[in-house]
Amino acid sequence: MNIFSMLFRYWPAIAAAAIAAMVPSAPLKLRAVGKDEADDAAASAPTTKLRVGLAIIAGLTALAVQALVTGADAPVPDGAAHDEWRHLLNVLIGLPLVGAVAVLFMPRQMLSLLRGFTLAVLGVGFIASLWLLATPMTAGWHFQYIRHWIPALGVRYHVAVDGISLWLVVLTTFITPIAAYASFSSIKTRIKELCFAFLLLQGAMIGAFLALDLFLFYAFWELMLVPMYLMIGIWGGADKIKAAVKFFLYTMAGSVLMLGAMIYLVWANQKLTGHLSWDYLALSRVALARPMQMVCFWAFSIAFFIKVPMWPVHTWLPDAHVQAPTGGSVILAAVMLKLGTYAYMRFSMGLFPGPASSLSANLAGVAILGGILYGALVAWKQRDIKRLVAYSSVAHLGYVMLGLFGATPSGMQGAVLQMVNHGISTGALFMLVGVIYDRRHTREVGDFGGIAKVMPVYATIFVIVTFSSIGVPGTNGFVGEFMIISGTFVSERLANFSGIHTVGAAAGVILAAVYMLGVVEKVFFGPLSNPKNKHLPDLTVRESLALAPLVLMIFVIGFAPNLFLDRMKASVDAFHTQFRTVSGQTVQFSLENAAQLLPEETFSPAFLKGAPVYTSDSTGDDSGAKADAGGAK
Amino acid sequence: MLGNQFDTKDFALLAVVLLLPAIGAFVNGVFGKRLGKEAVRLMALTAIGGAFLASVVTFLSVPHDGGRLSWTVWRWMSVTGQSGNSVPIDVKFSVDAMTATMMLVVTGVGFLIHLYASEYMKKDPGYHRFFCYLNLFCFAMLLLITGDNLPVLFVGWEGVGMCSYLLIGFWFDDEKNARAGKKAFIVNRIGDFGLILAMALLVYYCGSLTWEGIDNSKLSLLAPVKIWPIGNLSKETLPVFLGNIIIPDKPVQVYAATLVALALFLGCAGKSAQVPLYIWLPDAMAGPTPVSALIHAATMVTAGVYLVARLHFVFLLSPAAMAVVAVIGVVTALLAASIGLFQHDLKKVLAYSTVSQLGFMFIGVGVGAFAAGFFHVFTHAFFKACLFLGAGSVIHAMHARIHDTDRSQDMRNMGGLKRFMPITRWTFFASCCAIAGFPLTAGFWSKDEILWSAFSNNVVNSKAAATPRMAPYEWPPWLGQAIYWGAILAATMTAFYMFRAYFMTFHGNFRGWSIVRGWTDPHAGHDHHDHHEEHDTSKPLEGPEPHESPAPMTAPLVVLAAFALFAGFLNAHPIHIAPLGHFLEPVFKGAEGFVSEREGAKGLMWVMMAPGFAAFLVGTAAAMYVYLNRAGQPEKVFAEKAGGLYRLIYDKWRIDELYDATVVGMVDALADIFTMADKWFIDGVLARLTAMLTALAGTLLRTLQTGRIQVYAAVMLLGLGGVGWFMVYPHADVTADDTSLRSTGEVKLAAAPGYGYTFRWEGLTGTDSQLTERSAVTVRLQPGEKKNVTVFVKNAFQLETSHTVALERPGLPPGAKAQSDGKGAAPPNVPGMVRPDIPTGEIPADDIHKLLLPRGADQGNNKGAEK
Repeated sequence: MNIFSMLFRYWPAIAAAAIAAMVPSAPLKLRAVGKDEADDAAASAPTTKLRVGLAIIAGLTALAVQALVTGADAPVPDGAAHDEWRHLLNVLIGLPLVGAVAVLFMPRQMLSLLRGFTLAVLGVGFIASLWLLATPMTAGWHFQYIRHWIPALGVRYHVAVDGISLWLVVLTTFITPIAAYASFSSIKTRIKELCFAFLLLQGAMIGAFLALDLFLFYAFWELMLVPMYLMIGIWGGADKIKAAVKFFLYTMAGSVLMLGAMIYLVWANQKLTGHLSWDYLALSRVALARPMQMVCFWAFSIAFFIKVPMWPVHTWLPDAHVQAPTGGSVILAAVMLKLGTYAYMRFSMGLFPGPASSLSANLAGVAILGGILYGALVAWKQRDIKRLVAYSSVAHLGYVMLGLFGATPSGMQGAVLQMVNHGISTGALFMLVGVIYDRRHTREVGDFGGIAKVMPVYATIFVIVTFSSIGVPGTNGFVGEFMIISGTFVSERLANFSGIHTVGAAAGVILAAVYMLGVVEKVFFGPLSNPKNKHLPDLTVRESLALAPLVLMIFVIGFAPNLFLDRMKASVDAFHTQFRTVSGQTVQFSLENAAQLLPEETFSPAFLKGAPVYTSDSTGDDSGAKADAGGAK
Repeated sequence: MLGNQFDTKDFALLAVVLLLPAIGAFVNGVFGKRLGKEAVRLMALTAIGGAFLASVVTFLSVPHDGGRLSWTVWRWMSVTGQSGNSVPIDVKFSVDAMTATMMLVVTGVGFLIHLYASEYMKKDPGYHRFFCYLNLFCFAMLLLITGDNLPVLFVGWEGVGMCSYLLIGFWFDDEKNARAGKKAFIVNRIGDFGLILAMALLVYYCGSLTWEGIDNSKLSLLAPVKIWPIGNLSKETLPVFLGNIIIPDKPVQVYAATLVALALFLGCAGKSAQVPLYIWLPDAMAGPTPVSALIHAATMVTAGVYLVARLHFVFLLSPAAMAVVAVIGVVTALLAASIGLFQHDLKKVLAYSTVSQLGFMFIGVGVGAFAAGFFHVFTHAFFKACLFLGAGSVIHAMHARIHDTDRSQDMRNMGGLKRFMPITRWTFFASCCAIAGFPLTAGFWSKDEILWSAFSNNVVNSKAAATPRMAPYEWPPWLGQAIYWGAILAATMTAFYMFRAYFMTFHGNFRGWSIVRGWTDPHAGHDHHDHHEEHDTSKPLEGPEPHESPAPMTAPLVVLAAFALFAGFLNAHPIHIAPLGHFLEPVFKGAEGFVSEREGAKGLMWVMMAPGFAAFLVGTAAAMYVYLNRAGQPEKVFAEKAGGLYRLIYDKWRIDELYDATVVGMVDALADIFTMADKWFIDGVLARLTAMLTALAGTLLRTLQTGRIQVYAAVMLLGLGGVGWFMVYPHADVTADDTSLRSTGEVKLAAAPGYGYTFRWEGLTGTDSQLTERSAVTVRLQPGEKKNVTVFVKNAFQLETSHTVALERPGLPPGAKAQSDGKGAAPPNVPGMVRPDIPTGEIPADDIHKLLLPRGADQGNNKGAEK
């Protein structure tokens, strides 16, 4: 392809890159680095770096959008086999884990090697995850990979991606490098451990999103606690140990309940089929006895609600956020909380659709009163900006949970999109709070005021992200909230309550404006009274580059959410249909005192693809080998 | 005129209209600082000017038969509607007659105000930021009016709100301004809450959010909706006394149309500053004056009226909602006009006048005169923009003397300015005449038509027959007339306060001379952006004179004043010159059949013009007498005589304080309570209490871990003693296996074995008298038989203990059966053969259940148990 046709084809990316390169202005940077105009050369170097960086980010974003647009337009032959490299998910999970081990063998004095290596691994992970987007996301599992792990217990290594986990995986691979990049500027101690923690965290989170074996899921779920615990405990604020322990204990308490329920479920399945299996797909067929359904649903859901976090088990979150370092906060808010909502959708709704369906009106009430309204009101009263953002997460995730409880196709799509949105907006907010904390070592609203005058770029970006968090249309926040609210009113699950739920959820948009604009006003506007704020430098190159992709994504999702919704639509619709059918069946047919196995016809073949298959003569299952063979073609 | 030049389905010219301001905003915002003021000014004016030219072409291209020009850009998202239908939401724009007219206003008046502002803001360091916001505002406003569906409109709706927020707080280093911006945004958000609800309802009931789609399926909005009791609330779920009070016998139902319309109107009331959400607009005057003219007078605040007119077919389905709109309109008109009576701040007077005029517009659309309401939007844009710009010109002039925002806007410091600024004075006068309703000016025609419609129209839900389940609301006959007279009163007040402002500002003597020259701001050290001239304090006390503004500021004034005087002839229905009215007709043809002329109003049109004219005369004459002839003396007298009332009006009836004390206070208190509860109760119970319990358990257990070997030895001894005692003492534990008790009557008893245990069973047929090693026995029971079996256990230490097991087999004893049967033989126990044995005489209560149970069922149960 000659240069002209390439120019013609990729002109949006080139134009975006060109415009982005012009955005930073030299005099601004001069003041930003706080030097005299004398050393002009010294100041222009970071500007060039910023120009190049922004150009690359903008160009890549435009390219990605272009690719997504054409990808959505391309006709997808139905049922056509696509070339799916079956080790892709292994790479996504394994690469950071291997990288984490590799970091341990690097000398701790070589800081740039450690940082560079970490960023490289995370970057490769991100690029690899883009491959997922190139595959048309039809309903069912993609990039499935199955291996026996502990055959004696029926535990398999079973990972696969569908339209729901797809975006969460991409979100993870997108946010973690940014968070790591941003934290390298503020964290100067124990870099080796930090790199190790980031890589381990990345691997565990992706694993948890992709695992379709309960045992494997549990392993990843617990594994990701460890690096986060270390992050808070080592690089945290004044009260870090207490916060880290609180974080750990809360999550652990839920996990243990979940593990108990898992074991019961596996046991029940073993009673019914005679085979031990921890496979999500196989266990979906088990309809437990009615009371046990309820017990197991709660055991799973409490674990997830703690993670989300839902009222009243949310109080670990503000403490953890306030004490965590910026990078930790970003990952905690952007990705780890999503594991709660994702896992509720995948496991609680998938394995126990009966209780999930019958309790949805009540749970939605909790999500609205306890999350959206209560979270917002408490956020309003916080004086620590980070604490405020933490409570705003409670409110935002209330919307996500509401979308899941409502269980309408668009509501659930909105919920998944809102998970991504919250990751981007709140991730950016935490990063922005980190910026100011690095400069002033305080986050009290009262210590600031009028700093828009000294940090105009920072203020602009903060206001943009604030509007995204409030859900102003045109930004990403609106799309998710709108889909969830309209889904709430339409929802059949919420029955009589859908009206009042809709009113409550919509009222949340008022409160979001109240608390977010309150903090914007107090921090950025008004007279610049505090002398300590008079000479705050504006965003550095590193900070600008870390924030740029997030700000761009705010608008990309805001204006073209369909690029994202298209790729999750088939999976969410399939999930919704299955949820409807299976919850109907379990509500009607499950017994009071005995577990049953739902007939295979209840589920779509695409869903059950990869479930363990037992031959009549052997006790073990050989499906792993079969699926492998199928995958290899 | 240009109807055939463009593709009506793919009218991409709209891209020019929309994108030019967007590009202007981007360039000015990102590069403006480097480009310099001239470039920023050029960019901003080009952007809005180009948009204006494209709008003119669009206006000329609009088909006159009610068709639309539309342009679909991309699929935005799709949501799920009722029963799983997909409701697509596109980024789509469309233009019909009303939109085209509105586009002209937005871009045309917008251009004039841009031009004016390029001079007004000249000395401001945030010049590029200002024009970035202003262009962004135009972009959002154009999105709002060209959007083809509610969500796209909503993008513009919130976009203008956001720009308004940024522009009100433009001089953000004064906290008051920032707070006013925040207040505006939050109050608007309350309205947006209504709009979001309305969208959710429309998705459900209409399955569409486009104008056309809603229109097509509007009849499904006639479904009745239960609004009370909510959820599962019923008399049974509440305490009796409460249930009887708050739960009516029949659930309260309304039409979905009423709900949708009221929710929409909540949004409109927020954006268009109607009661009860009008409180943000007067505060919004904290922004630069051109902003007040463009956003808070000419365009954004009329968006609510636009929306009601746009969705008039929904409103018309609910006469109740229409009544609410009209009544809110007249209440707002009266309330705001009354507050405007005694304000001293020139911009505040204009602000309340805007609120009041918006009330008039809502009266218009509320009584079904959509074209009239919209026409008032049109004319109001001219005269109110002209008034605001004139006020800006005055403030600009006053700044020569006073460097304080509040005092430079205080009319008590003005007076006699006609001498210094003739153009401003005459344009201001022309617009005053227009707003006060001087015959043949624009305001006269538009206001008159609204008044007449209020007097004569009657709104009926003519489609209610489609749903005979509910009786539709009917307007009481006096309502229209009450609205009419209320509006007349408001119009009188309008004439009064507008001419009051005019006379106080431009006539009499210039009172600004008495302002001390070296006067400084009370908040010292506080930097003002409104500086337009720098002064040397050594100059004489007289200082510089107020001056006429430069041409870029006066030219827009002249153009706007011309429109304020003559635009009325575009829709002068009484004299049958109404080109605009005819142009708009197809847009509102849906109103046919819903809005009719009231019986008693026929032929009264010219008669009912008289009170309107009288309102102008009375108001103007009174203002002239008080402020021109008596120089404001009567106002002072009134203030002294009725000080309480005067101050109450001056303090805006203290509505803000009322809100603070009620709604805001309640939410604030609630938030405080929640915050405390979160810290002390939820965290207290879940974290602190559990931690405390764990710690307590630890503390207790720790006391046992003393580390002293003697204590351990003592405990070990105790333990050994306990175990020893357990070993030495025999245990007679019997497990009974009664699985076949019902079928064969056999029970297997097994005693737990132990060290050197010997057993003796009592109660068996062949009772042992000796201790044996037999630890298990089988007992056979007849139906109905009871038996006590006791086992004695002796262990190696010769200690003895015993345990008794009571056994009973259900069923009647064979003897009893023999008696009732009279045959002496038990009936064969064949499944399926059910022969109830009913004993004669008294039956013991305990036995009744046995009679009810057929024997076949017994068998079945046993089988189940075995399985």
